[in-house]
Amino acid sequence: MTKRKKLLIYKALLFLFAFFIAFMPSTSLRNKEVNSRVIVGILGLDGGGEKVRLTAQYVMPTEAQGSTGKDTVTVEGETLDEAAEALNTALGRRVELGHCSMVIVGKDAKPELLGSLMTATDVAADVWMAAADGKAEDLIADLTDFMSKTGATDANFIAYSARKAHIATNTLLGFLSDLGSASKTAYLPLVEMQSGKASESGDSSSGGSSGGGKGGDSSGGGSGEEGKGGSSEGEQKTGMKVEKLAMYGENGRVGIFDSTSARGVAWVSAPVEKGTVCADVEYEGKTIKGVCGRLLKKHASVKIDEKTGTATVKIKAFIEPHGDKFNTLFATNSKKANDALIAGYKKKIQGEVESAVGSSLAATADPLFIGREFYRHSPDYFKSEYDYYSVKIKYDIEIALK
Amino acid sequence: MNSVSQQQNNGTALGSENTKNAGTTNTRETKQASGKQLVAIIFILAMATKMFLLPIFLIQASGRDGYLILTVYGVFDLVTLVPMIITIRKCDVDFFELLSSVLGKVGAKIVVAIIGLFLFFKLNTAVAEILNFYGTNVLADFDTSLMIIVLLVFLTAAGTHTLRSLSRLNEILMPIIVVCLAVLVAIVVLTGFDFGNILPTVADGKSFISALLKHPAWVGDFTPLVLFIGRTRTKKYTWCFAAGSGLIGTGIAVFFAIALSAAFGNVPMLIDSTTNLSNILQFSVGNVYGRLDMFSSVVWSVSVFIEAALFFYATCRCVSFVIGKNAHFIISICTCVCTYVVQVFALTDPMIFSLAVTSYACAIITPAMAAGIPMIALVCAVIYNKKHKNVGQAAGRQSA
Repeated sequence: MTKRKKLLIYKALLFLFAFFIAFMPSTSLRNKEVNSRVIVGILGLDGGGEKVRLTAQYVMPTEAQGSTGKDTVTVEGETLDEAAEALNTALGRRVELGHCSMVIVGKDAKPELLGSLMTATDVAADVWMAAADGKAEDLIADLTDFMSKTGATDANFIAYSARKAHIATNTLLGFLSDLGSASKTAYLPLVEMQSGKASESGDSSSGGSSGGGKGGDSSGGGSGEEGKGGSSEGEQKTGMKVEKLAMYGENGRVGIFDSTSARGVAWVSAPVEKGTVCADVEYEGKTIKGVCGRLLKKHASVKIDEKTGTATVKIKAFIEPHGDKFNTLFATNSKKANDALIAGYKKKIQGEVESAVGSSLAATADPLFIGREFYRHSPDYFKSEYDYYSVKIKYDIEIALK
Repeated sequence: MNSVSQQQNNGTALGSENTKNAGTTNTRETKQASGKQLVAIIFILAMATKMFLLPIFLIQASGRDGYLILTVYGVFDLVTLVPMIITIRKCDVDFFELLSSVLGKVGAKIVVAIIGLFLFFKLNTAVAEILNFYGTNVLADFDTSLMIIVLLVFLTAAGTHTLRSLSRLNEILMPIIVVCLAVLVAIVVLTGFDFGNILPTVADGKSFISALLKHPAWVGDFTPLVLFIGRTRTKKYTWCFAAGSGLIGTGIAVFFAIALSAAFGNVPMLIDSTTNLSNILQFSVGNVYGRLDMFSSVVWSVSVFIEAALFFYATCRCVSFVIGKNAHFIISICTCVCTYVVQVFALTDPMIFSLAVTSYACAIITPAMAAGIPMIALVCAVIYNKKHKNVGQAAGRQSA
């Protein structure tokens, strides 16, 4: 066979294959396929004992423009896989979980469900996570109302906390990795809704939506049917509050850290490098309350010493003080003011970290991952002698004012 | 001096004569690749399949120590690269001619048949990984039996062209691949992976050894370089760059394995073939820059296509030499059919693939071949050079 003939055969084969691919049924019907899908923005997880409840905030793409409102649906199954499958049938379309930007975990949700969520569904490993004080289903209903009211389209609001606020956030993989570490502890930011009377809020353009619970740990609303949940009559959600942390152990939630302890965890365990620090400053015998500064950068680590059974929490924070109180202080004696500020910030940060340690002892959790550090650097000591309650914790806080 | 030039002339004459013979090449040109192209090929071979799905399999088998096993394999391959580079440097005739000259025609055919089988095995490992990656990661509802045809068309094209074409293709794609890798490295570094998660090392010695012994199917990535013996135009420092490129390629593969080991060290049971670097980076920078990570990850994976094409090309040339015919088109089609049968009928089930590549037979044969092929090439090159030096000296004495 000549080279020209071979080339001709080759080209003909290529053309035939391209023709086949272009006109095969799944290609030619692709437009229809787009309209047969539902995109999930937020996924809620409740239960885990006998029943698993999945709540999805979804957008259903349609051909008509502007008709893609958000709504919610809740389904139940004996396993997570069954519940995920039930989502498809509940909405009559193929549910796309790959675009899900947040997973909310209810109070009673079992952590092992999250492992299944990552491996058995299309939910990405680095999807942001949040915890609901009560049912995830209620929180999602409230969030949907709030988002409809504000016109927010991005469900990824926890990402703001991860970048700009001093909140310890976590992702699905991060949560599971923390829980699988030697510390056997993981944290999630607790999302609460702030409520206000419709008339008082000054914004009643959309009003409260359909009846149901009032967020938080209230019950009712949103279960089993589309579009349910949201605020009770005369009350609407005016915003979100992300201050507390939900702490998890192997068997589920072990406690809620208040805002001070949550900030302590954020100093050590979360990669946050932004946020505001406000401290009371002792200056020339007076206490000046609430001198604020902006956190620019921080380095945090836990150093362990197996010989003495000590863990040293080291933090170096770069803070830029601002505001009228600081300006007044700085104008009088800059050196003295600086020293006083450093002492004030140091005390504040140490107080927050100590509060986190105190809360962790009560909740039998290790959110500063001291156990993990012992395991990493002294695995033998960890296996034979380590006990979180007998570790001596020291603090080495350094402040650099900018 | 005269004898040396005569010997070189003899070599060239032999080379051009053998271009008509089967297996050597399908062009009359003997020096088909430049030193630069060799360096680029070595870079791709060093990291392509090693940072594709191998880290995932290793983490599944040995948890956070997966990167250590990959490092061992990488170092092993780098060691085998040394005799290969020396042979390419010292030898002026191509691999098949070299073997024929030293082992005789029958001996050479037997050795090449065994090497061909090994290269076919490596080809199938790479193709199975590509199908696995695109079938579970990139495209939903991926029909393997249909989509493999696209890959096989590409492989046929590679098989019917010359080494120069493959080297040039790699040379063109190389800058794009390097940029994508740089983007991925930057994303990993900037998003603050907790690399401390790879500690403690070898906490479970048994699973480490077991995983180390079960995955050597991924060594031997430099074996297609035998085709560059006697066919590469080199400069003074090409060898240093070739070794450096192998080192950098292996370093990059190890770096990404460390990133994955750090991410999944605590939860090795959660990693599977649907996980890749892009998957765990999704929300790290995605909202700011778009899906740079996804784009980079997909474009980078092109390097595995190049590696598969090289294995395919080398397999076809071995078949061509063994059967003694230069029918590259027919041989490529037949190799494609064999690959299709293996992939679609034998390796469709990931479990079968897993059992095949992690078997003890595979664990013994693959490293033996990976080390044996460059060593055979080196030994043959030394014997060949010695023999031709003696012949040259005798001819010199006669003419004197």
